[in-house]
Amino acid sequence: MPKKPKARSHSNHRASRASRPTTPASSSQRTYTILDYRLERPRIELRQVRDGDTVRYEVSGDLSAPVPPIRESKYLGKQQCIEIYRWMLLNRKMEAALENLYKQGKVVGGVYFGLGQEGCSCASAYALEPDEWLGPLIRNQGSLLVRGFSPRDIMMQYMARAGSPTKGRDASSHFGDIQKRNVVAPISTLGDLIPVLAGVALGARLQGKNIAVMTYIGDGGQSTGVTYEGLNFAAVQNLGLVLFVENNLWGYSTPADMQFLIEDLAERAIAYGIPGVIVDGTDPCQVYDAAHEACERARRGEGPTLIEAKMMRMKGHAIHDAAEYVPKPLFEYWKKRDPIARFENFLVNVKKWLTPAEHEKLLAGVDAQLEADREFAVASPMPTPESAAGGTYCEEGCHEVKPKYGVPTVKSRKAPATLRAESAVHLK
Amino acid sequence: MPTLTYLEAIRQGIWEEMERDPTVFCIGEDIGIYGGAFKVTDGFIDRFGPERVIDTPIAESAIVGAAFGASLTGMRPVAEFQFMDFIGCAFNQITNMVAKAHYRWGAPAPLVIRGPSGGNVHGGPFHSQNPEMYFVHTPGLKVVCPATAYDAKGLIKASIRDNNPVIFFEHKYLYRRIKEDVPDDDYIVPLGKARVARSGRDLSIITYAAMVHVALEAAEMLSKEGIELEVVDLRTVSPLDREAIAETVRRTNKVIILHEHVRTGGIAGEISAIINEEAFDSLDGPIVRLTALDSPVPFSPPQEEFFLPKPNDVVREARKLAAY
Ligand SMILES: Cc1ncc(C[n+]2csc(CCOP(=O)(O)OP(=O)(O)O)c2C)c(N)n1
Ligand SMILES: [Mg+2]
Repeated sequence: MPKKPKARSHSNHRASRASRPTTPASSSQRTYTILDYRLERPRIELRQVRDGDTVRYEVSGDLSAPVPPIRESKYLGKQQCIEIYRWMLLNRKMEAALENLYKQGKVVGGVYFGLGQEGCSCASAYALEPDEWLGPLIRNQGSLLVRGFSPRDIMMQYMARAGSPTKGRDASSHFGDIQKRNVVAPISTLGDLIPVLAGVALGARLQGKNIAVMTYIGDGGQSTGVTYEGLNFAAVQNLGLVLFVENNLWGYSTPADMQFLIEDLAERAIAYGIPGVIVDGTDPCQVYDAAHEACERARRGEGPTLIEAKMMRMKGHAIHDAAEYVPKPLFEYWKKRDPIARFENFLVNVKKWLTPAEHEKLLAGVDAQLEADREFAVASPMPTPESAAGGTYCEEGCHEVKPKYGVPTVKSRKAPATLRAESAVHLK
Repeated sequence: MPTLTYLEAIRQGIWEEMERDPTVFCIGEDIGIYGGAFKVTDGFIDRFGPERVIDTPIAESAIVGAAFGASLTGMRPVAEFQFMDFIGCAFNQITNMVAKAHYRWGAPAPLVIRGPSGGNVHGGPFHSQNPEMYFVHTPGLKVVCPATAYDAKGLIKASIRDNNPVIFFEHKYLYRRIKEDVPDDDYIVPLGKARVARSGRDLSIITYAAMVHVALEAAEMLSKEGIELEVVDLRTVSPLDREAIAETVRRTNKVIILHEHVRTGGIAGEISAIINEEAFDSLDGPIVRLTALDSPVPFSPPQEEFFLPKPNDVVREARKLAAY
């Protein structure tokens, strides 16, 4: 009797759809689950209204709701919370320093801020292991710090100095490192990092290791086609992508509800067949917990997770943009939810993990680090004009390409003796 | 030495690289059990398994993005495009993400994007294009367009081993139409080196891919009239072999540039400029361009024939130039 072929699931075959519907026997309605870590669900609406000769945005809803506490983390202990807090401070104060450098005319081009989003950048990146990968966006300067770049690296990028990670060739957060820090340099075009990070996970898996890879997309950027392509690819291939959808309510001057119609972008996960999670992006504990769980899932080889972080871009799109189109009450509402002030209160007053003296010391340490880095960066030279040339191609001897996680193991199988019909091909 | 078609030679080249190097893998649409729309990867999934022969969703940006991501971990992906006409869907990944990576942040991207291009198979406007010039115009990419089975194997192997992103345009008209003896051992044809496909003293024709065969056919006809054509096959369109271009002009002093893609912004313009820079004093006549028309590729056979350069066109232009 011929042996029944054994059905085998391959490592690149989807294990199971994560966001399976439940259909109660008595109903034809399906229900899906979205995990929501938030302690408040703000209902705030934005409308375009005509005001005399002009059209502007108007905000309505419960803008006086009390500020929620920080949610206790399931995983983070005292030391880790303090570390994350320090990264957040470094992130914010570094951006303040960049603003000053800009005002002094030392920055070439603009400055981008993650004001109000530091908790999301820092706590998410903090969930990755050193041998895992991250692809930042322009506002994720905090993520870059957590991955091991220094404020001086970022300052030199903005000032286009020879010593910047891209040696003057690119600006802002547009740099990476394939050797040590495992960061993919972003490009301006939004969405394109998503399949790239999925591919990093694919490469690692071929080398025998399931890793978590993390990247970000905005409420605006998620409208791109490549976002769908990349996340769907990761889902189908069961790759350990952790995608943070940073819903900061604005994409340049366009409000989020002109980008999509659904209530929560996390719901998109249902259509990819992957888990969707909502967090308050101003609460680093929620951000970390969701990121940690998604990373663990990735390491178990169970595929991607979409995490929507709700927060607010607390400045204009970049330094040139005064954000006058944003209704003031919206800024006031989110100002009360400032991630750093709330985390400070949590650490100093609620948990008492930092005494006021320790807190002062921590602040002073951050300031000293930034001052030293600022001085270094400002004193560093501009690149020579000629350094514009060269390096477009990887020449003989400039890089050795070798597998990062180990040489893939190859099964030896017999080659098929004959090829199939050569006749039925598409166009001859 | 076994006789292989152009397609079998490519297949053998990729196969050998996958045998030789466990970091090489294939990714694309319908390349697994089906073996690809043109069967280039037929049998690969049986030999190398679904881990290394990955069928993807119809998502060209994801294919290129994922290939690039994997290359950052030290893999050497070979990404198949079902038709090169669809490469526009991945334009941003290729030109902005991949091509600029080494210049911007020192990340080598050793990946190959390969697939069928070219006309004369009545594929219509979306299955016949030669979109290579978009990528020739993008620093950081290499663009390879083989004309023979021997070269196809040697060039695909060199492309896979190269530490730069290579776009490898296979000509679908040649897939099963040309055959030759191809060594079944390990050899490469280096990127960036042209070859003289036929030597001749009277005038040169610089071309590549399917047009090499058009030029060779014309050379046979012209030879009977006593006009000896030198046919230079570029093999690699980016980087161009400037030296080989200059040398053939210095030998024959007259030159026709022949290509299958449209005229305006075509490689003939660039080659003319190189001749101007490197061998102006050797010219004894105007540089002649023979190209497709400045239009989409038409579907109906008589229209497509009119659109594409043919051996008779070469003969006509060569006679004129020889008499100049
Ligand atoms: C594909 C693409 N289109 C347009 C732009 C120009 N642009 C840069 S940032 C931006 C707004 C992005 O909004 P969002 O994704 O919400 O991110 P945020 O700035 O809020 O962090 C736009 C339109 C771009 N970078 N990429
Ligand atoms: Mg936004």
